[in-house]
Amino acid sequence: MFGFLKNFATPAQLRAAGVLGMNRRNYEIIAKSNKRRLYPLVDDKVQTKKLADSVGINTPHLIGVVEVQNEVDSFLRLVEGYKEFVIKPAHGSGGKGVLVIKEYTPERFVTASEKVLTYHEVYQHISNILSGLYSLGGKYDVAVLEEMVHFSTQFQDFSYQGIPDVRVIVYQGYPAVAMMRLATKESSGRANLHQGAVGVGIDIKTGRAVAAVSHNLPITHHPDTGADLMKLEVPFWREHLEIAAKGYEMTGLGYLGADIVLDKYRGPMMLELNARPGLAIQIANGHGIRDLLKRIRVSYPKGLSVDERVDYVLKHK
Amino acid sequence: MLKKLKSVRAFLTLGLLLSCIFAGYSIYYKIHYWGFNFTPKQTTDVWTVEEHVSFVPDGKNIRVSLARPLSTAGFKILDEDIVAPDYHVQKTTDRVEITSKAKKKLQDIYYRVLLYDNVESKGKTIAEKPKTPQKPIMDESTTLLAEQLLEMAAQFDGDEIQKVIALFNQNPPDETVQSFVPAPRTAKATAVAIIDLLSLKNIPARMIRGIKLVEGKKTLLPDVMIEAYIDGMWKVYNLENGKKGVPDDFIIFQRGKQSLVDVEGGINSVTKFSVMKSIRSSFKMAGHRAKLSQSQSWFNYSIYNLPLKEQNTLKWLMIFPLAILVVVIMRNVVGIQTMGTFTPMLIAMSLVRTGFWAGLICFSVILVVGLLIRAALSKLNLLLVPRISAVVIFVILIMQILAIIGYEWKWDIASSALFFPIIIMAWIIERASITWEEDGAANATREIVYSVIVAIATYFVIVNEYIRHIMFAFNELNLVILFVVMLLGTYTGYRLTELTRFAPLAKKDKK
Repeated sequence: MFGFLKNFATPAQLRAAGVLGMNRRNYEIIAKSNKRRLYPLVDDKVQTKKLADSVGINTPHLIGVVEVQNEVDSFLRLVEGYKEFVIKPAHGSGGKGVLVIKEYTPERFVTASEKVLTYHEVYQHISNILSGLYSLGGKYDVAVLEEMVHFSTQFQDFSYQGIPDVRVIVYQGYPAVAMMRLATKESSGRANLHQGAVGVGIDIKTGRAVAAVSHNLPITHHPDTGADLMKLEVPFWREHLEIAAKGYEMTGLGYLGADIVLDKYRGPMMLELNARPGLAIQIANGHGIRDLLKRIRVSYPKGLSVDERVDYVLKHK
Repeated sequence: MLKKLKSVRAFLTLGLLLSCIFAGYSIYYKIHYWGFNFTPKQTTDVWTVEEHVSFVPDGKNIRVSLARPLSTAGFKILDEDIVAPDYHVQKTTDRVEITSKAKKKLQDIYYRVLLYDNVESKGKTIAEKPKTPQKPIMDESTTLLAEQLLEMAAQFDGDEIQKVIALFNQNPPDETVQSFVPAPRTAKATAVAIIDLLSLKNIPARMIRGIKLVEGKKTLLPDVMIEAYIDGMWKVYNLENGKKGVPDDFIIFQRGKQSLVDVEGGINSVTKFSVMKSIRSSFKMAGHRAKLSQSQSWFNYSIYNLPLKEQNTLKWLMIFPLAILVVVIMRNVVGIQTMGTFTPMLIAMSLVRTGFWAGLICFSVILVVGLLIRAALSKLNLLLVPRISAVVIFVILIMQILAIIGYEWKWDIASSALFFPIIIMAWIIERASITWEEDGAANATREIVYSVIVAIATYFVIVNEYIRHIMFAFNELNLVILFVVMLLGTYTGYRLTELTRFAPLAKKDKK
C-alpha cells in the first residue's frame, strides 16, 4: 500500500546526500550572489554576446538583429552569404524559440531536425519572437540571427540530432560542477532535461563522464543511439572551464550556469549564461552540490585570476 | 551570511510572536467587549419589551413610578424610551418616575426597553446575609396547615426550596395545598405562599418579577420567579419546575417588595406588557456594545463602523491573505508549479461565485473549446497580441453560448460561465497551447492539472463560511499571516516534490 513511498526520500536523507533544494538555492545562493541589476546582462543574448567579445570569449558570430516587425522581411538580406544560420529570441530561455536552419532557398528552409518550413513560417517565427512569445514575462523582444555551430563529430554518436552542450555551474568564479546535455528523439533535438534529454555528469577535473540520467533515472547508454555514455569525454576541457570561469568576471554574477558548445572549427564557444541555473545537474552527477558550494564559499582562495582559479579547480581536491 | 539569515529569521519570528500576542489580545477584546463570535452569526436578536400603563386621572397630581429592568438582569440595554407627553420624567437606577399636574382624560404611558445579548448569568447574587425573615402572621389553623405542608415537602427531591416548589407543582394538585392557597392559583399567590413557607424555615426569600421573552407576547401579568438566600448568595428558582438559575429568556424588572408599577393620582390603572423580537446586524450591535464598554472611539476606527457596502467589499478582501498563504505553501513548501503565480487564486475566486461543480465543468468546457480554437488559430499564423485578443473574443463567445444554452435548457451550470475572468481564461489558453507545442501535451496537461489542484485547495479555504467570518471579524489575523508568509520566505528546506525529484541521490547514498 505504501509502495509509492519508495519513490520518496526523507528530508534527512537528502540533507545527508548534500542535495541543494530549490528554496535554499534561491535564498542562500542566488539571492546573495547575484545582484538583480546584473540579470539583464545574461537575460539579453545580444548584450551577453557583446560582453563575451569584450573579454575574449568565443561565441557564435552575430549575423544580425531583427528589432521591429517591419524589418522581419529583411531577414533574408541579413543572412545573405551564410549557408546556414540560427534564429533565437534575445530573451529566450531553455532553448525556447530557437530555430536552426541548416540549408535554405528563399522559399524553402530545412531545420536541423530535417523539418521543412516555408518562407512564411520562418517569417511568422521571427514575428512571434518580436511580439514576446518566448521571452520572460511576454515582453517585446528582438530576434537574434547568428552563425550555426558546427558541432564536433566527436559527439555524433552521443546525441540524437541537436547540439550537445556542456553546462558548467560557476560559483564565486570557480567552476563547481558540470554536465553534458544530449538531445534524444523524445526531446526532439532539444537539450532540455525535462523534455527528455539525457544529462551526463562530467567530472570537473577530467572532463570525463561520471554518471548519466534520463528522466531522473540512472542510465548507461543513450536511449536512441545506444552509445556508451560512460565513455564520453569532453575535449578541450580546460578551455571549457576557462570560458565558464570568465563568465564571473564578465557579469559579476556569483552563481551562474555557462552553456558551452564545441564547434568543429572554432573550439569551445559560449552559447549563453544563466543567472538561475537549475538543480538537475545534481541528479546527472549523482551527488548533491550543497557541501561543495559551501566549501568554495568558505575555504577557496579569493581574488585569484581566471587561470589561477581553473588551475586550482583542476589540481585541488 | 548565515548570521544574517539567522537574524532575519529571528526578526521575523519575533514579529510573528508579537503579532500573535496582539491578535490574541485583540480577539479577546473583540469577543469580550464587542460581543464578536467565532461562528458566523450575522445577526443579533433584539427584544423590545413594552409596558403600557393606562389610567383615569382622579384630579390630583399624577405620579407614576415604573420599575426599570435591572442592568444586572442578564441582558444589555440597547435603548430605553418613554412616551409620556407633557410629563416630567426622571430616572433612578431602578425606577422611572413620571410626574405631572392633574390631567383630565384617560392617560396612556408607554415605557419601552430594547434588550440584547443575554450574558449568561447563573442567577446567583452574592450578598450580605439579610435579616431573618419575619414570620408571616397566620391564624392557628393556617400555621398547622403550613407545618403539615413542610412535612409533606420533605418527600420531594432537591434542596429545601426545590422541595417546597415541588409541593405546589403536583399533578393533580394536592388537597392540602389547595386549602392553603385556594384555586385558581395565580403565580403571584403561589410565590407568596412559597415565601411564607420558607420563612417558617428561616430561609429568606423574595419574589422576582419580570417578563419571559416570547415573540409576540401580550400579557397583563408579569412573570414571577423566586429568589432565596442560601449559602451566602441569592439564588433564583423557577416556580414551575424548581429549576435553579435565571432562564435565558427572562428579563428581571423588579425584586422583592417594591412594586412594578405605582400610580398615584389615577384610578382603574391597567398595565399591559408586550414583547417583540427584531433582528439586527451583529456588527452594528457591536457599536452599542463598544459604547457600553467605553471603547467607542476604538470602534469608530475599525472596519465594522463602515457602511455595509464597504464592509462587504472588505469581507471579500480579508480572505485574500489566507488564499495567498495557500498559494505560497503550494509553491514553496509543496513545490507545485502552476500557470502564473496567482492564476489559481483567481480561478478559485471565480469558483466561489459559480459554485464548485458548475464552475469546474464550465472552466473545463471553456478551456477545451478554447484550446481547440487556439489550435485552429495557430494555422493562421497571426501575430501574438491579435491572436490572444482573438482568443479573448472567442472566450466571450463561448461564454455567451453557454449562458444561452444554460437558460434555454434550464441548465444552471452553463450560466455560471459568465463569472470567469475572460482575460485570465484567454491567457490560460494561450499559455497552455504554447506549453503544449513546446513541451508536449503531457507537460501542458500537468501544468493545467496542478493549477486546478491549487485552485481547488484555495477554493475550499475561501468558500468556508467560518473561515470567512473569522478572517473578517478578527482581521488582526491578517497580520499573523503576513509574518507567516514572510517567514516562509526564509524557508530553505526541501520542497515536498523535491523529495521524489532527488530521491535517486538519496538512495545511492544509502547503499
